[in-house]
Amino acid sequence: MTEQRTVQFRVFRYKQGRERPWYDTFDVTVTPRTTVLEALQFIRRVHDPSLMLRHSCHHASCGTCGMRINGQERLACITRVHDIAGERVTVEPLANLPIIGDLVVDMKAFYAKFTPMAMPLIRHSEFLPEAEPPEGVDTYTRLENCIECGLCVSVCPVAASDPLYLGPAALAAAWRVVQEPRGQNVPEILAQVDTAHGCWRCHIAMECSAVCPSHVDPGAAIMALRGTLIRQHLPWRRKQQGGDAHEPR
Amino acid sequence: MNRGELVPRRRWPAWFDVRGRHVSGWAFILNRLTGLGLVLYLIIHLWVLRLLTQGEARWNAFIALAKTPPFLVLDTILFFGIIYHALNGIRLTLVGLGIGVSAHKRMFWVLMGIGLVLFVLSTWGLWTMTK
Amino acid sequence: MKGAFHVLVIGGGATGAALAHDLTLRGLRVTLVERWEVTAGTTGRHHGLLHSGARYVLTDPDSARECIEENWILRRIAPDAFELNDGLFVALTDEDVTYLDPFLEGCARCGIPTRVLSREHTLRLEPNLNPTLKLAVQVPDGTMDAMRLPLRFLATAQHHGAEIRPFTEVVDIHFQGRTVAGARVRDHRTEREYTIAADVVINATGPWAGQIAQMAGVDVPIRPSPGVLVAVEGRLCNMVINRLHPAGDGDIIVPQRRLSIVGTSSWVVEDPDDLDVPEAHVRMMIDLGALLIPTLREMPVRAAWAAARPLVGPRTAHSGRELSRTFKCFDHADEGVEGLVTIIGGKASTARAMAEVTTDIVCAKLGITAPCRTREVVLLPHTAYYAG
Repeated sequence: MTEQRTVQFRVFRYKQGRERPWYDTFDVTVTPRTTVLEALQFIRRVHDPSLMLRHSCHHASCGTCGMRINGQERLACITRVHDIAGERVTVEPLANLPIIGDLVVDMKAFYAKFTPMAMPLIRHSEFLPEAEPPEGVDTYTRLENCIECGLCVSVCPVAASDPLYLGPAALAAAWRVVQEPRGQNVPEILAQVDTAHGCWRCHIAMECSAVCPSHVDPGAAIMALRGTLIRQHLPWRRKQQGGDAHEPR
Repeated sequence: MNRGELVPRRRWPAWFDVRGRHVSGWAFILNRLTGLGLVLYLIIHLWVLRLLTQGEARWNAFIALAKTPPFLVLDTILFFGIIYHALNGIRLTLVGLGIGVSAHKRMFWVLMGIGLVLFVLSTWGLWTMTK
Repeated sequence: MKGAFHVLVIGGGATGAALAHDLTLRGLRVTLVERWEVTAGTTGRHHGLLHSGARYVLTDPDSARECIEENWILRRIAPDAFELNDGLFVALTDEDVTYLDPFLEGCARCGIPTRVLSREHTLRLEPNLNPTLKLAVQVPDGTMDAMRLPLRFLATAQHHGAEIRPFTEVVDIHFQGRTVAGARVRDHRTEREYTIAADVVINATGPWAGQIAQMAGVDVPIRPSPGVLVAVEGRLCNMVINRLHPAGDGDIIVPQRRLSIVGTSSWVVEDPDDLDVPEAHVRMMIDLGALLIPTLREMPVRAAWAAARPLVGPRTAHSGRELSRTFKCFDHADEGVEGLVTIIGGKASTARAMAEVTTDIVCAKLGITAPCRTREVVLLPHTAYYAG
């Protein structure tokens, strides 16, 4: 069970004021259970305390430890070193977001696009539908699936070429509001995604859904938004609603 | 610890970063490449058609050249591009309208199966009929 | 803000976040430094329980009272941040049932509302519970996002002018004579060192409080006490499930998003940076959790991790369970070091109260009379921390 082996970690480094980023290589002894996050914490503790990375919950619930591990967007906290092929692990920050230092990207632009989508955080819980809620609780609720990790934005080829693109996470959040408004202004949210840099910008590479660690399926959400908007824009539907479908009720 | 290996500057556009891509991502990259190729072909095609205004002899000379193996290889690549882009385009149109979103991967492989048959038949036709 | 006293908060966890919020509301200039990303230490790693306090009524009634009071306040100041599905204390054995009366009396004394549910009723609410259970008690537990609640404190503090500096590590305490006058920090983003001058420095570094105190030549009775938590795939319950007995290992299951989190074990370490996740503890969590929800055993493990509680206690403490879960604030002027205050102990659910007590002490030192307003001020959404 405790079969240990030594793995080379090639870690992307960058510090503000330096001209170019570089890689540092560290040897780390791992067991079958060691995660990439634990290995990076070890490097920070033993080799280089200046190594910058983001982490918080350690169980794929906070979304801070998203990074590219051998080129693939993953959460470091649930990626075991043993499950990665090869003797060398290259760790790089997420793409398509500005780098603050080492493995840390600036989430400002991400949240600036996410925030106008009404920031859904609590939703109706669909688990155990047969369960009766206790007295004093109207309906079982739970935290939303999206953990705002940014993996989808990093892997998205459109986000790579259009900095104004709202991106998979924000669009998926918008679709959640359409599905379960919880008092939000749905027509307003739809109007915000019905733009050239909104849901119509997607090129359906579906990488977002492939890398999402949290069952959000942003690709399907973007297509669902398109479907909703197309139905709204049908001429006979517009007439029925009396004017612009986006007009807040 | 080993320091100082500079991160190489990227030599290709970010959308073409193929590391860690899934089937649908490869499909996107190939779609964009074939799309660019087809635009290039269209320009060349229109330029070649200009020969028609310059007399029969010049046109016939070009047709003779077009039947040589190097040109047939280019035509084969063109067939691939047309067939791939058209069939993948059908998938993207459907998915983009919200049809078959959850089956997009299966749809891709079915269409690629059809595409392979079309490609083999058309390439076979190309090379046999131009002999 | 010019001319206001400047307070330097060390530590970007729940305590530091709530402190920055309280201090700015009282008109102080605040800089918060955190050596890693905010909430990267202990804060982000807890099970996400919004305590009703019921967990402590049998052993630690002071802590229980703090919890229930804060529970009601947090619901008010952080709307839409919690899964408010309540919690259950489940009696599995006849021995567990003997705790029922003291538990109910304890809850009543601490002001925690309870409702006793029959076995059948309990199973209608939570069908995955062990069907051999005897009875259960409903309490106002809840689930929070361990990172996003503190982010709301930080976002609100930042909005009111607090300067939050992550990746900024304190390398030394800056003295003027015998008075703490700030800290020397290293910015890992720019590799530069500089000094932050401050009228008061607050050590809010949780289990690391001993290390910061040492830099200032003082001692704090901190016992870093790690616990192992295990997350399994699948939301097996909607309410928080506790075992009805004195708090022990593996006796709580907190549903969170699509996961169920089982906690915890408890031991004591010297260095909270070097936390092991012993395989035996992971197995124990699954085994004990499966007593409450048998299907837990069949679910794939999503993650297993450890977090160090910042407990207050003597150096002789060894398991951590015997230590109180309440908090304690130290004004080091009592030991002859002016300008440094340390806050340790407590838990995410009581971070606001910890900040209130600490800010009261700081304000008294500076002669500020502004009252605490954090019980009423509604917090900004967590996204505002990053979006600005």
